[in-house]
Amino acid sequence: MTGVAHGDVARPVGPAPPADGDSPATGAPDGRAERAPGAVAIAGVTTTALGAAGAATGVVAVVRGIGPIHVGSLGPLAGVTLAAGATGGAFMVVVGLVAAAAGVYGIGYGRHGRSSPLQLAAVPAFVATMLLVPLAGSVSTFLATWELMAVASLVAILADHDRPAVRDAARWYAVMTHLGFAAVLVGLVVLAASGRADGLVALTSRAASASSASRDAVFVLTFVGFGAKAGLVPLHVWLPRAHPEAPSPVSALMSAAMVAMGVYGIVRIDIEVLGPGPRWWAIVLVATGAASALYGVLQSSVSTDLKRLLAYSTTENMGLVTLALGAAMLLAGYGERSLATIALTAALLHVVAHAAFKSLAFMAAGSVLFATGLRDLDLLGGLARRMPATTGAFSVAALGAAGLPLGAGFVSEWLLVQSLIHSRPSSGTLLALVMPVAVGVVALTTGLGVAAMTKAFGIGFLARPRSTAAFDARESPAAMLAPMAVVAAACTVLAVAPGVLAPGLRRVLLDTGSSFGAPPHLGLLLRLPGIAGSISPGLIAVAVAVAAAALALVAAVARAGRSRRPADRRAALWAGGGGPLTARMQYTATSFAEPLQRVFDDVLRPDVDVEVSHVEESRYLVDRVRYRSRIVDVVEARCYRPVLGAVATWASWVRRAHNGSVNRYLAFGALAVIVVIAVAR
Amino acid sequence: MTGAGVAGAAVQVAAVGAGAPLLVGWMRQVRALLEGRIGSGVLQPYRDLRKLARKQSIVPEGSTVVFATAPAFIAATMLVVAATVPTVTVASPMDGVGDLFVVVGLLLIATVALILAALDTGTPFGGMGASRETTIAALVEPAILVAVFALSIRANSSNLAAIVTATAHRPGDVLTPAGALAFAALVVVIAAETGRLPIDNPATHLELTMVHEAMVLEYSGHRLALVEWGASMRLAVLVGLLANLYLPIGIAGAHAGAAGLVVGVGAIAAKTALLAGALAAGEVFVAKVRMFRVPELLAGSFLLGLLAVTAAYFIAPRGA
Amino acid sequence: MSAHTYATLVDLAAGALLLSAVLVVWRRDLQATARLLAVQGAALGAIPILSGIRRGDVQLAVVGVAVVALRAVVFPKLIAVRLRGELAHEREGAPLVNTTASLLVTATLVIVAYALSRPLVRLDASPAARAAPVGYALVLIGVFLLVTRRKALSQVVAFLVLDNGIDAVAFLATLGVPVVVELGASLDVLLAVVILGVLAGRMHAKFGGTDLDELRELRE
Repeated sequence: MTGVAHGDVARPVGPAPPADGDSPATGAPDGRAERAPGAVAIAGVTTTALGAAGAATGVVAVVRGIGPIHVGSLGPLAGVTLAAGATGGAFMVVVGLVAAAAGVYGIGYGRHGRSSPLQLAAVPAFVATMLLVPLAGSVSTFLATWELMAVASLVAILADHDRPAVRDAARWYAVMTHLGFAAVLVGLVVLAASGRADGLVALTSRAASASSASRDAVFVLTFVGFGAKAGLVPLHVWLPRAHPEAPSPVSALMSAAMVAMGVYGIVRIDIEVLGPGPRWWAIVLVATGAASALYGVLQSSVSTDLKRLLAYSTTENMGLVTLALGAAMLLAGYGERSLATIALTAALLHVVAHAAFKSLAFMAAGSVLFATGLRDLDLLGGLARRMPATTGAFSVAALGAAGLPLGAGFVSEWLLVQSLIHSRPSSGTLLALVMPVAVGVVALTTGLGVAAMTKAFGIGFLARPRSTAAFDARESPAAMLAPMAVVAAACTVLAVAPGVLAPGLRRVLLDTGSSFGAPPHLGLLLRLPGIAGSISPGLIAVAVAVAAAALALVAAVARAGRSRRPADRRAALWAGGGGPLTARMQYTATSFAEPLQRVFDDVLRPDVDVEVSHVEESRYLVDRVRYRSRIVDVVEARCYRPVLGAVATWASWVRRAHNGSVNRYLAFGALAVIVVIAVAR
Repeated sequence: MTGAGVAGAAVQVAAVGAGAPLLVGWMRQVRALLEGRIGSGVLQPYRDLRKLARKQSIVPEGSTVVFATAPAFIAATMLVVAATVPTVTVASPMDGVGDLFVVVGLLLIATVALILAALDTGTPFGGMGASRETTIAALVEPAILVAVFALSIRANSSNLAAIVTATAHRPGDVLTPAGALAFAALVVVIAAETGRLPIDNPATHLELTMVHEAMVLEYSGHRLALVEWGASMRLAVLVGLLANLYLPIGIAGAHAGAAGLVVGVGAIAAKTALLAGALAAGEVFVAKVRMFRVPELLAGSFLLGLLAVTAAYFIAPRGA
Repeated sequence: MSAHTYATLVDLAAGALLLSAVLVVWRRDLQATARLLAVQGAALGAIPILSGIRRGDVQLAVVGVAVVALRAVVFPKLIAVRLRGELAHEREGAPLVNTTASLLVTATLVIVAYALSRPLVRLDASPAARAAPVGYALVLIGVFLLVTRRKALSQVVAFLVLDNGIDAVAFLATLGVPVVVELGASLDVLLAVVILGVLAGRMHAKFGGTDLDELRELRE
C-alpha cells in the first residue's frame, strides 16, 4: 500500500480534481513555448534588486529624508518632483523587502510558467512604480505614479489570461481601481487648487487655510480612492477576485505591499497634509475600518479557497489599520495625545506586520498551488508530512494573521486595544460611545480571525489528504523555500522583538504631525506613556519555551526513573467499529465553518440547497442527499449587481439602435443636426 | 522584581499545578452530593492522572508533530498563565511581562493548539469537536475582552496586579453596577472558556453534544494526562482570578515573607473552593444549551460586559 | 447613611433595574419574566426609599413603599395568576427578532440612552441623577419589547418595563414625585394591566392562543 510510506491509511480514490489555480505546475497545455528559465530568472533578480534598492532608499529617507529633487524635463507640464520623509521611507522599506522576497520566490515559482515577456517585465515594473509612489513629492508626480502602479499591477494580474476567472478579476480590478483613481485625481486637484501649490510639503502648511468645504471634499474623495486601493468595504469587491487569481508572487506583492499604498495615501494625504480635521472624519475612518474588519474576517472564515481566504483577511487587516488611524485622529481631536500616538503606532506596526505575515502566507499558498494545483481547502490536507517547510512557513504566517501572542500580529493589536480602552471617562460622550464598540469589533475580529486561520492551517495542512493531487504533493524547490524562510524569520522577529522597529517608528511619528505625543517604548518590555502596565512578547515566548522544556525534563526524568510505561505506539484510528476510516469522512473546510456560517446567517446570506432524492420503491428510503452551499459576497450582490444590471439594461437599449446599418447611423446624424439647430435657434 | 515576588510566582505555579486536579475533584464531588450520589471523592482526578501517566500512549497513524506536542504545549502555556495571574501574590515578576490581554491570548492559543491536534487526527469526531470549539472560541473573544475592558477602567491599567491592588485598596468599588455586571459577564465567559455547563458538558460522551471530549478522543496515556491537567489548570486559574478580582483578601504583597505566602495560598485555596463550589452547585440546576443557542448566551455576556463599560464610563467617575 | 453608602446603594439599585430589563429581553419564559419584573419593581421602589431615608423625607419613602407593593407584588402576581390558568403552557415562542440580535439591539439602545441623557447628567451631578440614564434605557428597552414581542402577555410585560423606566427617570432625575401623582399614574397602569390581561384571556378563549398576529384576522 503506497500510503504507508506517508503514514496514511490509503490513497484517496476518485477522479483527480481539476486544477483551479493559476497552475504553474501544469506546464504549457496550450502549446505555447515554455519560457526559458533565463528570462524568468532575469525578471526575478531584477525584482529583488529593485526591492533591495528601494528598501535601502527607504532607510535613507527614514533616517534623514530625501529631496526634494525636481526634474523638470521628465514628464509634461509640472515635471517630476521626488521627495520622501520618514513616512514615505517606512512604506518604501516595507514594499522593498516584500519585493525582494517575492522576486526570488518568483524565480522558483515561474520556472514552468508561460508568461509573455511583457508579463515578466510587469512584475519589476509593478515593484518600481510601488516604490515611486512614496517617493512622489508633488501632487502631479503622485498621481502619475499612482496610475502607473495601477496599470503595472493590472498587467501582472493578467499573467494567466487564458482562464475566464482571471479576465473577470482583471476587469473588476481595472474598473474599481480607475474609479478610485478618478476620485483621488479630483480630490488632489481640488487640494492643489485650494492650496495653490503642487508640492506636498508646501501643501501641508497651506491646506489648513483652505475652506472647510473644500477640505471636506478633498478628504471624502481621497479616502474613497485610497480606500478602494486598500480594499475597504464597500470598495473591496475587486480584492477577493484579483488577489487569488494573480500568480502567487504577484498576490504576495498586491496583498502585502500594494494595499499598504492605500494606507500610505490615507496617512500621507488625509492625516499629514490635510492635518487635523473635524471629528466626523475620524468617525468615518473608524466606521469604515470596523465594517471592513468584521466583513473581511467573516468572509474569510467561511471561504474554502485558500487564496481567497487570505485576500479577505487582507480586507480585515486593512480595516483594523483604518480603525486604528481613525482612533488616532479621534483621540488627537480630544487632546488625548499619548493615546493617539499609541493608536497611530498600532496602525503603522500593523502595516509592517501584515506585510510580513501576508506575503509569507501567499508565498506558502503559492507553494501549495505549485505542488498540487489546488486552492480549494476542501480538497487539500495532509501537506504537513509532504511539504514540511511550506507547512512551517504557513503556520508562522497563520499565527501572525490570527493575532495571537507569539505571532507577528499580536503586538499591534495589543497596542490598538490599549489605545481604545484607556481614554478617560470624562473626555467626551463620543469617545465613551465609540471606544467600547470599537473594542468589541476588534475582539470579534480577532476571534473570527483565529477561526479562519485555524481552518486554513488545520484543514489545509494537517489531517489526511482529501484528493489525489494533495496525496501526491512534493515539497517546492529551494528558490521558493528560501525567501519563505527569510520572511518567516522576519515574522518571528516582529513577534518577539518589535523593538527593532522602534527607531524608525519614532521618526515616522515625529514626521506625522504635532498632534501626536511621545511614542510608546518598544524595548524588551513594551511600555506605554501615561499608562501603568507593560507586556513583553519576547519574555512570553521565553517563558512558554522554558515551561515546555521543564515539562519535557520532568517527563524524561520520570521515564528514566521508572520505565514501567510502555513506549508510544502508532496505531490506526478508532473508527467506532465501522471499518477503516477514509479521508472522505474527515471534516472539510466547509463543514468546519458551517456553525459560524449558521451563526452569521443574517449577514452572510448563504445560498444553501439540500436536495433529497428517494428510491423508487418508497419515499421513506433516501437514495441520495445533495448539499450545496454557496456564499456570494453580499456587498457585491446587493450594491454592485443592481447597478451593473441597470447599466447593462441601458446599454442593451442603446445597442438596439446600433444595428450596423449605415443608413440608420446617417439618419441619427441628421436627427442630431436637426435637434442642435432647433435648440440653438 | 523582588525576592518575595519570585518566590511568590514559584509558589503560585506550584499551587495551581498541584491544586488544580483537587479543584476539579471538589467540583465533581459537590455536584455528586447535590445530585444525591456518593461521588468518587475529591482525590479521584489525581488517581486518574496517575493511571493515565503510566499507560501506553497511542498515536494515530497519519498524525503529525502537532498531535504529539500539543498536550505539552497546552500544559506549558497554562503554567505560564499560572505564573502571571495573581493568585497568591501581586508581585510576580511575570506581571510586567503579560497583562490580562496576554493571559486571554495565551488561553486562546492553548485552545487553538488542541483544535489543531483534533483536526490532525483526521477523524470525524476530531473535526466535529474542533469546529464547535472554534465557533465558541471566536464568539467568546468579544465577551471576554469587553469584560476585561470594564475591569481595567477602575485601575486605568490592564495589568492584573494593578487591577487586583486597586481593588484591595478600595474593596467597595467592586460593588458598583459596573462591577456586578462585569461579574455576571465573567461567569458566563469562564463557563465557556473552561467548557462547563451550560456551554459544554465535561461529563458527556454523546456525539451530538460533546465539544472538548470530542477533541481529545484520540488522546491516551500520558498525553491525555497532560491535556486533562492543562484543562484543570485553566479552570483553577480562571476561578482563582475571578475570586481575586473581586475579593483580594489575603493576597501577598510585594514584600511579603514566607508567612505571607502561606497565608496567600490558604486564602486563594479557600476562596477558590467557595467559588468553585458555588459554580458547581449552579451547574446542578442548568442544562447544556443547544450549540446554536450558545451565541445567545455569549451575546448576553458581551452585552453585560458592554453595559459594565458604559456604566463605568458614565456612572462611576466619582473619585476619578 | 453616609453619602458614599447612599451613592453605592442607588447605583446598585440602578444596576439591578438595568440587569433585570436585560434579562427580560434574554429570557423567553413568561414565568421567569414575571419574577424578573418583581425584582425590577423592588429595585425601582428602593430608589425613593433610599432618597427618603437620606433626606428624612417621609413622603418620598411612602411613595417608595407604595411602588414596591404595587410593582414588586401586585403586578407580577397578576401576571402569574394569568399564567397559572389556561396560559401556563404558553411561552414567548419566536420573537420577531432573534435573541442574539435582540441582545445586541439592547446594547445599542443602552448606549443611545446614555448619550441622550448626557446633558441631564451634566446639569446635576448627584449620584441619583448620574444613574438617570438607566431610566431612559428602560424606556427604550420597553418600547423595543413592545415592538418585537408577539404574545399579549409579553406586551403587558413590555409595557410595565416601559412604565418602570418612566418612573425611574422621575425618581432619579427629580428626586420626588408627589404621592398623588405616583398613585394616580400607578392606578392607570394597573387598569391597563387588568384590561390587557382580560384581553389576553378573551383572545385565548377566541383563538386558542394569545399570538397577536392572530388579531389580524379581525380585520376581515
